[in-house]
Amino acid sequence: MLRQFLSRTFSRSLPCSISQFSNRAISSEAVAETTIETRPTVRKPDEVARGQLTDFGKYVAECLPKYIQTIQITAGDELELLIVPEGVVPVLQFLKDHHNAQFANLVDIGGMDVPSRHNRFEIIYNILSLRYNSRIRVKTYTDELTPIESCNEVFKAANWYEREIWDMYGVFFSNHPDLRRILTDYGFEGHPFRKDFPLSGYVEVRYDDEKKRVVVEPLELAQEFRKFELSAPWEQFPNFRNANPAAEEVVPEKK
Amino acid sequence: MAGVSKITTGLTGLAVAAKPHHTLGVLYSKILRTLQKMPQDAAYRRHTEIIINERAQILKSNSDIEVVENQIGCGQIEEVIVQAENELILARKMLNWKPWEPLLREAPPNQWAWPPAQAKN
Repeated sequence: MLRQFLSRTFSRSLPCSISQFSNRAISSEAVAETTIETRPTVRKPDEVARGQLTDFGKYVAECLPKYIQTIQITAGDELELLIVPEGVVPVLQFLKDHHNAQFANLVDIGGMDVPSRHNRFEIIYNILSLRYNSRIRVKTYTDELTPIESCNEVFKAANWYEREIWDMYGVFFSNHPDLRRILTDYGFEGHPFRKDFPLSGYVEVRYDDEKKRVVVEPLELAQEFRKFELSAPWEQFPNFRNANPAAEEVVPEKK
Repeated sequence: MAGVSKITTGLTGLAVAAKPHHTLGVLYSKILRTLQKMPQDAAYRRHTEIIINERAQILKSNSDIEVVENQIGCGQIEEVIVQAENELILARKMLNWKPWEPLLREAPPNQWAWPPAQAKN
């Protein structure tokens, strides 16, 4: 990441520690990656960016060992930092303010609900470094009751994104200046993006001719609870039987 | 504004620095002093000291701002000042956070497994 920027614009050597292990890592990546994607419709990961992001991931993990659980590369060349929930503010602050990172833009905060997990919600921060022309993702987790520290003090843009997560998933952000509903209707109850929220919702809204106003009533088409059996005797996606794993973990070198 | 080489940085809200050498020198020495309160083997301290020392060296050995900008290679001198200010704030916060300590806790099993249906129990 750093190298790309610098070599294009300026001729300056890197801080030695990073350039050392970036050279090593890029060469090992090139050896490991033997199968070259030739199908024209499949996106080819950028090997150079991949090498740089791998090094950057190791660098961050070395600097913040207290918070970073896992570093992984997804979709070939996208870096993800998986962190403990307490580390949201320190990690984002580091990525924003450190000389070698400068991820000054918060592009989006996303949520994910996986009810089978111990901590069912995943919170995903997408950040962008204009300086080094690079994007990375920071992920953490929580459950229904545990609040996550608001990163509003780091990124002002987080204000509405966190309100959105609160509205859609019901994840509470502590120290948020103005945590209100943002997308749903006035007086709406529940968090619609949770997997246990019914597709039809709980209420329906219609215009009542006699009362001359819009009325909100409990849903009449309410469906009995059904357990859908989704397994089938045949194999749904035989082409993906040997698909690559969703993410490859990057293991930092032990010192 | 005597001795200033340009009228504007061309960046909204970023004024031309009047005495960049002085400002940056003060900022870098403040950062280094903050870093010295961290443990010797903290990776953050080591890496940041390398960066700051390198930049301070370039700053000290060149009086021409344009040469400094080109050698640092991280934008105009005003942007470099902003970066140094950010690093100083970060370093001071890092003293409280102590990120060089060992991992707070491992993730629960299968927390990061994807797709979840294939998670091995």
